[in-house]
This record gives sequence, structure tokens and C-alpha cells, in this order.
Amino acid sequence: MIDEATLVVMQQQMAQQAAFAQIPDVVKRFILHFYQSILDNNVPEINAAYESGWNKLTEKYYAKTEWPDAELIAPLVNDDQVFLTLYRELYYRHVYSRLSPDVDDRFHSYENSCELFNYILNSEGPVPLDLPEQWLWDIIDEFIYQYQSFCIWRSKVKSKTEEELNMLADGAQIWSTYSVLNVLYSLIQKSKINESLAAARRGESPEAIAEIVGEFGSRPLYRTLGYFSLIGLLRVHTLLGDYTLALKVMDNIELNQKARLTACHVATYYYVAFCYLALRRYPDANRTLVNVLNFVSRMRPYHTRSYQYDQINKTADRMYALLAIGIALSPTRLDENTMIGLKDRYGDQYAKMQRGSEGLAAFEELFIYACPKFISSSPPPYEDPDLLALYIQDPPVDPPQRHLALFLADVRSQAAVPTLRSFLKLYSSLDAQKLANFLDEDEEELVQQMMMLKQASRSISRAGIDGGRLLDGETISTSDLDFAIDGNMVHIVESTIGRRYGSLFIRNTEYAQRIFDNLRNSPLPIPKAASPTVAEAPTTPIAAAPKVAKVTWAKA
Amino acid sequence: MSQQWTRPATRTEIIDQLVEGVDRYNPSNVSILEDYLYHQIREREYDCLANLAILKLYQFNPDLYNPDVVINILIKALTAAPSPDFNLCMALLGERQNLPLSDNEPDPLIPLLPSLRNLSTLLQTCRFPAFWESYQSEELSPLRENYTVEYAGFHDSVREVVVRAVKVTFETIGKERLGHYLNLTGEDLEAYVSSLGWSLNPSTGVISIPPNPDNQIKATVTRENITLPSITKAHRTFRCLARFGDGKALGCLSSLLTSFEPYAILVEANTIILVLKN
Repeated sequence: MIDEATLVVMQQQMAQQAAFAQIPDVVKRFILHFYQSILDNNVPEINAAYESGWNKLTEKYYAKTEWPDAELIAPLVNDDQVFLTLYRELYYRHVYSRLSPDVDDRFHSYENSCELFNYILNSEGPVPLDLPEQWLWDIIDEFIYQYQSFCIWRSKVKSKTEEELNMLADGAQIWSTYSVLNVLYSLIQKSKINESLAAARRGESPEAIAEIVGEFGSRPLYRTLGYFSLIGLLRVHTLLGDYTLALKVMDNIELNQKARLTACHVATYYYVAFCYLALRRYPDANRTLVNVLNFVSRMRPYHTRSYQYDQINKTADRMYALLAIGIALSPTRLDENTMIGLKDRYGDQYAKMQRGSEGLAAFEELFIYACPKFISSSPPPYEDPDLLALYIQDPPVDPPQRHLALFLADVRSQAAVPTLRSFLKLYSSLDAQKLANFLDEDEEELVQQMMMLKQASRSISRAGIDGGRLLDGETISTSDLDFAIDGNMVHIVESTIGRRYGSLFIRNTEYAQRIFDNLRNSPLPIPKAASPTVAEAPTTPIAAAPKVAKVTWAKA
Repeated sequence: MSQQWTRPATRTEIIDQLVEGVDRYNPSNVSILEDYLYHQIREREYDCLANLAILKLYQFNPDLYNPDVVINILIKALTAAPSPDFNLCMALLGERQNLPLSDNEPDPLIPLLPSLRNLSTLLQTCRFPAFWESYQSEELSPLRENYTVEYAGFHDSVREVVVRAVKVTFETIGKERLGHYLNLTGEDLEAYVSSLGWSLNPSTGVISIPPNPDNQIKATVTRENITLPSITKAHRTFRCLARFGDGKALGCLSSLLTSFEPYAILVEANTIILVLKN
């Protein structure tokens, strides 16, 4: 006799077998191969499976559905829990990017991330795992993305079902800010990445650094995760509006170093530039953005086929928007390519923003488009129905709107700058009363605006600092127009930029090179047999000799 | 940001460890930081990053929220103008949900916040007379009576904001105008001016501000600095051309091509003439 419980188990097994049979053979083979590469720690093979195999099969079989459940493929991989955790990492990432995660996906992806990080962090010695850098970056990146996505989803109380409300009331620790920070700080501490970066800055030998970082930190897996966690913290703190702390966690990182990974490089610069913008350090923001935008355009030819290409391009578009904001608030000469890229994308908005308060709408548009997706770290009071009712009645302002309001307050306080500047540019000295009349303002009001203008043309900047930390800086003048008030008389001077030899030089040298090559390649006139009479009278070495070859200089 | 801002000399070792390390997230440390804030208020010190660390703890632990502390932090940040400190504090604050306090008392921050914001804008935009008028208004008596009264030298701190703005903008300024900015008159004003080391001409009433890099303006021509190594990296040709000077490529070219024995090179307008010697 078969009892009911056994029957249920059997039915489940049969259903599983049927589902297993549904998995295409090519996918099964892929998983086996993927599993074997990870067992062998064969990084090139893992990389190939990760970057190409997975994506190809996704396109073919799983463009609109989930990959097979981890439990289903467990028999294929000897029920290897480490592999299954890594597999789920990819499984959920696919759900987040291609499908829409439901509440179970959100909770389970959190649990799976915890499992992965527990495995890495809480083993006695370093775990015997090597993963490609790109994957490690994606793990950290995705971890923060899912946290961010959860915070935004969680803050929308009204659209929650009964079941979701219950789960949220019980699961306050799921994707909590403390747990996310805990993971990032633990990875940083375990890998001793800060100590290692500081030692490298002091110029210590690789042996000495290996000594400092110990058995965990000398493994690529830990070192790389530690480094990416620093960038992760930069991102989390920026999302929470803590710009000083965001830059502070970068104390040991030197920005001008070579990019280790394009995605990481671009993300780092984006968040650093945004923090500078929020700190009103516009020159630093602009410099950071120009630097990375040049990098992106140099990298473009190499990334056309990469699956990250879209992502990087989107970030670049947002960085052009930030740059447009930055140079509208603190006019800076840009190199030609960057300026063209900027005007192609945001020419209209840029023109409006240069006109002060008239451009407020353009500032708002670009800020909302280009800012990080700000989040609120504290959940609505799901555990207390009374408070939750109050919360629904009077919800806090959406985080992006809140940060926008603060930013626009900065813009508004500078609103008079463009008009004042355009008047001052016309004079070398001017009575304050006269200027006030032009502008139809009260003289005293105007003099106060002039103080504001003066302070707006000063900024803290890292420009003159070699090395040092991102928060360091000195006050510099950011404007080519300077003035001082003597009693009631405004004295104005303008700084000019001398002729730029650099580009002229490069252009002309390129011409020279081309002509030089042409000359070398063209057949030379045949020398006449040397005649003694001519040889005796070389008064000018360059005589109008019979054989003259002409090469026309390319028209500039 | 200056060293004084990122790590004030007055910051103690214990506070420094809290601000710099992961202990800053530990809610049980909030009272140490709050005590330090009140110490700053009494002793005319200022440590923005330590105060932001308090707001961070409030952000993560809404139970800890203490409106009086927040108001004091904002008042401190006001007088840091034109530095963006006030907004940095506001960026961490806004998450506060409009939920009742644990003792069911009304939150004193809510009615004060618009005024504080307004005061910050007035200082940021250098509208000092309007600042004093607003600050001394009837409406803001709760701010004065409950908060700034405890703040040692609040008026002086605001005057320092004024001095920072005046010093960079003016070479000389009328006594009356400065008096309006500082909210001082008569002997008080004269005493304050002389404490700054500024000189007042009693007959004209004009105050001279000592020269500093910001109020001494001069026209400059910014020159581009090109270093030889940066060029030689760019192009192999530069290796032979760079030594010829400042970019007169035509001249460079003729010099370069003199090595073309037995031919000589003549450059005329936009034409290169290759001439056979002899």
C-alpha cells in the first residue's frame, strides 16, 4: 500500500524528472562544462563560459523565462553547494535584468548572496576558488544593485499585497543597510585591501605587501573583492546622500591609476564626480568627468561587441549630462572632442543652463536623468500597522526629489552669476550704482550679489595637489573674470589664455611627417655630374639650380 | 577641503577613531558624538565630519533621533558658509519620516526647518542685512531662546562668515555698509574692525582691508605648459622636431630636412622647394 505522503513525494519526483527532461541537452552540457571549469579553477574557461556561453544560451532559451532552478540541476553537479550558489547568483541576476523579480526572488536572492559571502568570508583559510575579475565585479555590482532595487520597491507601500506586507513586516533584516555594509566592510577587512593599497603607495616591495596582507589578502579572489568593495562603499554612500563618507572610503585609492576593469573604472569616476558636484567642487567634478569620458571614447572601438557596451554607453551619456551641469556652474574650457560630445547630446539644455535661473528646468531635467538612483535606508514601518497608516497618509519625499531640491537650492543661489558676469566683462572699472541701474537693482542688493559672485568664483579643488586623498583640496579661482570693490568702484580684470601651441604643434608636425614621408617616397631628381666651376662657387648652398622639385604644402 | 575641515586640530583621539573607523556605525557610540557636539558649541570648535557621523547614525537608526541635536548641528553648519556644510547635513536628514517621537512630544525641528533653510540661503548668497533681520524677528524667537542662546559666540561666528566674504571682495568698504553686514554700530564696530587688523579712516569713514590674494586682482595670461616627454610619447616625429622650439613647424621642417644631402630644402610660403645642391 502506498500512503498519501509517499504519493506526493513520488509525484514531485516525477514532476522534477519531467522538468529535468525539458532542459535542452546543450544547456546541460554547458552546465557540466561550467562546473568542471570551476572545479579546475581554470579561469580562462570560466571566463569563456561566463562571458559568452551563458549569454548565448540566455538569448536562445531563456530570453523570457528563468534558467532552470538550481535544485533541478543539482544532480548534474553532484549537488555541489558552492557551484549551486554561484549558479543562483547568475540565475537571480538574469531574473533582475530580464524579467521582473517577485517578492520571493528578492528575498531568495538576498539569502543566496549571504550564502556566497558567508562561504568566502567564514572559512578557516582562503577558499580554493578563482573567478574572473569581471565576474567578481559583477557580483559586488549586482549585490548593491539588488539592495538598491529592494529599497525602492520597499518604499512603495501602497501597491503591496497582503502577503508581501506580511513578509516585509517579518523580514526587516532582508537587504537591510547594515547587512549590506557589513558584507562590504568584511570583504575589505578580510582582504586587508586598505593596508595593501597604503603600503603600495608608500612604495613597499611586493614581499613586504604580501607580508602585510596575509594569507587571505594575497589571493586574487580576496584582493579583487576587497578592492571592488571599496568602490561598492563609494556607491552605497552616494546613494544614501553621504558624499563626504563616500569620498573618504576612497582614501587609499589613487584615481589616476590605470583602469583595471572598464566597468569598475567608469563606475568609480561617475560616483566620484557626482560627489564632487554635490560638494560644489565643480572644477574637480569637471576634471574627473573629462578624464573618464576621454577614456570611454578611447575604449569605444574595443567594446563594440561586449555585453557591457550598452551599460557603459548609458553611463557615459549620464556623465555628459553631469559635465554639462558642471561647466554651466563653473565655466571651463573643454577639449574639442568632449565639447562636441556634450553639445551633440545636451546642446539645448547647456545653452539654457548658461543663462542662470532661466535654465532651472534644464538643470532639473539633467540632474534627474543623470543622478544616481537615490534610496532611503530606513524601511516604512511595516511592523506597525498604525504607524504604517500614518506613513501612507504623509509619506516622506522621494529620495531623488529630495536631493534634487538641495541641488536646485545651490543653483538658485548662483542664479545671478551669468548676468553679472556678462555686464562686468564689458568694463574695466564701473561704479556700483551705475551697474545697479543697468540691472534695475538696488545698489546695496547689488553689492551683496557681487560678494556672492566673488565667492562663486572660488572653489576647493585638488588641481594643484599631487596624490593625496579625494577630500583634500585648496581654494582656487575658477573664473577668468576677477574683480575687487574699492569703496563703490568695481575694478575688473580678465585673465586670458595664451595661444595654444600644443595642438598647433601637433597638427603641423603631422603635416611635416606626411610631407617628409612623401618626399622620401618620391623619386629624386638625378644629380648632374659634378662640374668643377659650380663646385668652386657655392656662395649660397641653395642656388636656383636647374632641377627643382616642388611639393605643395597641404592647405591648412 | 582643508585639513582643518577634514580633521580639525581640536578633535580628540577617541573621536578621530570613531569618525575614521567602522565604529562610527555602532549606535552605542552616538552619545560620545553628541557630547562632542555640545562641547563644540560651548568651546567655539567645529567638526563637520563628526557631526555628519551623528546624522548617519540617526539615518540608520531612527530610534536614536534627537531633534535638539539635529537643530544644533544645523546651526553649527549655517556658520560654515560659504562651505556647503548645511546642505551636506540636509542630505542625510531628509529621510526622516513624519512619525511621532517616542514621547509623543511635537518635533521641534519641523517648525524650525524652513527658517533654518532660509537663514542658510541668506548667508550663502551674502545677504547679511536680511539675515540679521530674519534672525532677530519675532518668528525666530524659539530658535534664539532655545538654541543659539547656548551657542557660545553665535553672533561672532556669523560675523566670521561676513568677514570671509568681505575680505575677498573689497579693498575698501564704507563703515556704514560693513556695520550693516556685521550688525554692529559705533564703538562696537570700531573695536571689531580693529580686532581684525583692518584700519578705519576716521575722517572719511572708509575701512581699508589688508591686501590678500583675492582682493588684489591682476590680469594674467595663462600659458600652456607642454613638457617634452609628454610630446615625445605621442609621436615618433616629435622626437626629432621637439627640440626646435615652440611649434613653428615650418622652421622645424627646414631644419630637419637639411640632413637630406645632397639636396637642400627651401620653404617658401606654403611650398617646399627641394633643391639639388651644386
